Amino acid sequence: MTNQEHIMHTCPACGLLCDDITGEAIAKQQFSCGKAAKFYARTTSGAQPQVGGKNVPLEDAVKAAAGLLNQAEAPLVAGSSTDVHGARALVNLAQHTGAAMTHLNASSTLRNMKVLQHRGWQTTTLTEVRNRADVILMIGTDVVTHNARFFERVVWVNDAMFTEPAARKVIYLGGDKLNTKPGVAPDGRAPEVIECASEHLPEVMATLRALVMGKPVTADTVAGVAVSRLKAVAETLKAAQYATLVWVSKDLHYDHAELTIENITETVVALNQKSRAMGLSLGGSDGDTSVNYAHTWLNGVIIDAPEWESHDAVVWVNSYSPDAMPPAGTSPVIILGAPDSKFETAPAVFIPVATPGLDGNGQQFRVDGSVTLPLIAAKPSDLPTLTQVVAMIQAQLQGDLA
Amino acid sequence: MITLLKNAKVIDPAHNKDGVVQDIYIRDGRIIAKPADSEKIGQIYDLNGKIVMAGAIDMHSHIGGGKVNIARMLLPEYQAMRKLEEPEAHICGANCSHHATPNTTDTGMRYIEMGYTAAFEPAILAVNARQAHMEMGDTPMIDKGGYAMLGNDDYLLRLLSQNADQKTINDYVAWTLHATQTIGIKVVNPGGISAFKFNERRQDLDQLHSYYNITPRRILQALSRAVNEIGIAKPLHVHCNNLGVAGNFQTTLDTMGASDGLPMHLTHIQFHSYGTEGDKKFSSAAANIAEAINNNKHITADVGQILFGQTVTASGDNMMQHLNAKVANPKKSVIMDIECDAGCGVVPFKYRDENYVNALQWAIGLEVFLSVDDPWRVFLTTDHPNGAPFTSYPHLIRLLMDKSFRNDAFDKLNLDAQAMSNLKSLDREYSLYEIVTMTRSAPAKLIGLQDRGHLGVGAAADITVYTDQADKEAMFAKPDLVFKDGELVVKEGKVVKVVWGATHTAKPAFDNSVEKDIKQYFDRYHTMQMQNFKISNDHIAEDGRNHVINHAQG
Repeated sequence: MTNQEHIMHTCPACGLLCDDITGEAIAKQQFSCGKAAKFYARTTSGAQPQVGGKNVPLEDAVKAAAGLLNQAEAPLVAGSSTDVHGARALVNLAQHTGAAMTHLNASSTLRNMKVLQHRGWQTTTLTEVRNRADVILMIGTDVVTHNARFFERVVWVNDAMFTEPAARKVIYLGGDKLNTKPGVAPDGRAPEVIECASEHLPEVMATLRALVMGKPVTADTVAGVAVSRLKAVAETLKAAQYATLVWVSKDLHYDHAELTIENITETVVALNQKSRAMGLSLGGSDGDTSVNYAHTWLNGVIIDAPEWESHDAVVWVNSYSPDAMPPAGTSPVIILGAPDSKFETAPAVFIPVATPGLDGNGQQFRVDGSVTLPLIAAKPSDLPTLTQVVAMIQAQLQGDLA
Repeated sequence: MITLLKNAKVIDPAHNKDGVVQDIYIRDGRIIAKPADSEKIGQIYDLNGKIVMAGAIDMHSHIGGGKVNIARMLLPEYQAMRKLEEPEAHICGANCSHHATPNTTDTGMRYIEMGYTAAFEPAILAVNARQAHMEMGDTPMIDKGGYAMLGNDDYLLRLLSQNADQKTINDYVAWTLHATQTIGIKVVNPGGISAFKFNERRQDLDQLHSYYNITPRRILQALSRAVNEIGIAKPLHVHCNNLGVAGNFQTTLDTMGASDGLPMHLTHIQFHSYGTEGDKKFSSAAANIAEAINNNKHITADVGQILFGQTVTASGDNMMQHLNAKVANPKKSVIMDIECDAGCGVVPFKYRDENYVNALQWAIGLEVFLSVDDPWRVFLTTDHPNGAPFTSYPHLIRLLMDKSFRNDAFDKLNLDAQAMSNLKSLDREYSLYEIVTMTRSAPAKLIGLQDRGHLGVGAAADITVYTDQADKEAMFAKPDLVFKDGELVVKEGKVVKVVWGATHTAKPAFDNSVEKDIKQYFDRYHTMQMQNFKISNDHIAEDGRNHVINHAQG
């Protein structure tokens, strides 16, 4: 018996961070989630550092990266698809090179952050939902497109401390091309689905908030949705033991969608005057929560979304998204990232680094923000960590200065 | 190499030294006895009679973890750009912080610059401990540690409601200390955070929890006994029920009796010393509270002084913070339920001296300080950042040491509040010896840091050198020298060398068979594996900056 067989791995392929992945499942590629399957199928062997598309020793690639950063007047650290340790290294690199720093998911992260910084919010976490929620309202999202095992791990569970899991009421309110099948209860009971295109969620969500707050609503329909149905939803939420209002920032991708999110969170605030309800923001990954959190405690401020045009060199980190590349035309690009990165044009410098949870260890924040989990290399490799490579680049930069 | 601090005027209450001029020898980060004449002295600092004391220890300061980081995120308007100098600039970006929401670098730097060499995060949610340690690991210069929150976690409440035996509770408490790498146990609004999840809005000490049918008093009994029986030094750290409520002093007095005479620490007691007298039905009960502390030798307390200005309150007490959110300034707040473990509430506040309640809160805190006789049992805190940022400690010290300065400040308060306070009749001025007791010796003893908070042979060489000045605020704001583990890290109030400190823990022996039931609970109800809840020494030491110092107990 080896230890390896008994280690449960934490899968960083989405923000849910399922930590029940056995070594056996990884070896046999047996997963109930497509994202996990794709993540653990990645091969990381054989990648070599490159400069200008040609294989070079690591030291040479580090020198080239440092040289580019030395010349750059306004570098940008972007992608930032990594874990907490990688985030620390990138914040440090940004400080030392005067670089701005952003993340692949900055636009969806900032949509939530705008709400937080404007009004705050009242939210909960997965274990609370698992044990308490009797009504789950999914607003503009099916969640499963992002977090495939949400219903399996949180909703239709065998045991809950304070509610009967199989009796939960699931309501979908709006959204485009949703997969509502996972919302069907174990006994075949269908979820309530209130159809409305995402673009109409602003007025529908505003109406629902008004109804929860007891404001008069005179219209019969809003964006094609009968107000009587929304009234019923409002009453269901008010009568709930623990209503959970779920959104995924990435699914609310229209202008000023933060106002819709604020209508969700302020609905929760209104409900909590008399009953109990909480918001739950899901989706997330590429380490977005980790990078935003670590950036905040290290710098005192959240992650930013600077303009690409104003930068003259980009450090691109794509550990969890080998396909992700900076916008076309960005140059020069220094990739410190996925060994299986897919680029059409060779970047100026490419240094493959270990991916936390795949071939390296690490620590990652779950999407609900309070839980952090250790990541263990499922297929250990000899690749350096992002921390190590950044340290080498910084040592080189200091040497160049000296 | 041996370092010699020559002609030090030592104030070291742990050894009853009050201004004894002596030499201090340091080797390998420790204070040593006078070496043989044949031994070479590498470095000599002639202090010419400057005041020398151990590094200060903040035994209650919210320096890391979920709610602190939420406060940073919530309040971008507090942030400002600042031009930093080396060596601070080497590890900190220019984006620097309001002192209520400092980033991790800022936290360590500002502490050490005042002569503080350790700070303890008093409210680590067990499930969030990994984050708290990550943030504390990124906090330079000082030592860190934390108290794990229990008493609203469904695991313990289930045990109590099922009448589990005390041994099971003891083992669970000890297991939690190990799993979370903490040095003490805290309970916040016992049962109340949980009750809020069941739509209760208040939880009184002897009121049955609506679901579990147990009282907060029972929770306090069980936890204070557990802490005592597993033999850790730090008494149960108690944030009482009814935080901030007019009339809550009675709850506080009753809470003192809840541990059946076992040691208990009541935290930020200023927020729990309110009466209901006067037109505004809000009055000072500091005299009652101080008298009770004086009479109950098993009780210690820190004050949680408020000082005027903008700050943010970050608490595990989401039940009471949900009520406080109505008076948030600026008008925003975060309230969370967390993992069947606890909760949090982050509410920005602006304390104003012209406001009746705020002015009286200020006076109440000082009344408590000045009316508790024993400086070994009352601790200097602002409950950073809840009452005020920790950077205001020098100001607070002057308020305690300088009666005319205090009275001048009092004269500026809201007049109705002045009429309701006896502060001006309190003539006491704290001595330097008493300040050193309450900021060094007493916290080290309370937490169980045998080798900190004093200057005896064998102690860690965390040492602060001050020039005695009439203006104690100026004196304590800017030490001449600070040594951390024997290294000179601050000169003239400025950091000259970056060090990273360590994390202090307590890991008492326990019966690990308790883990079988805990694992079953995790498997049945949680969304993470029990294994991942536990934090290893390696995780603390990751990225090479931090390490664990475990303190043998008993």
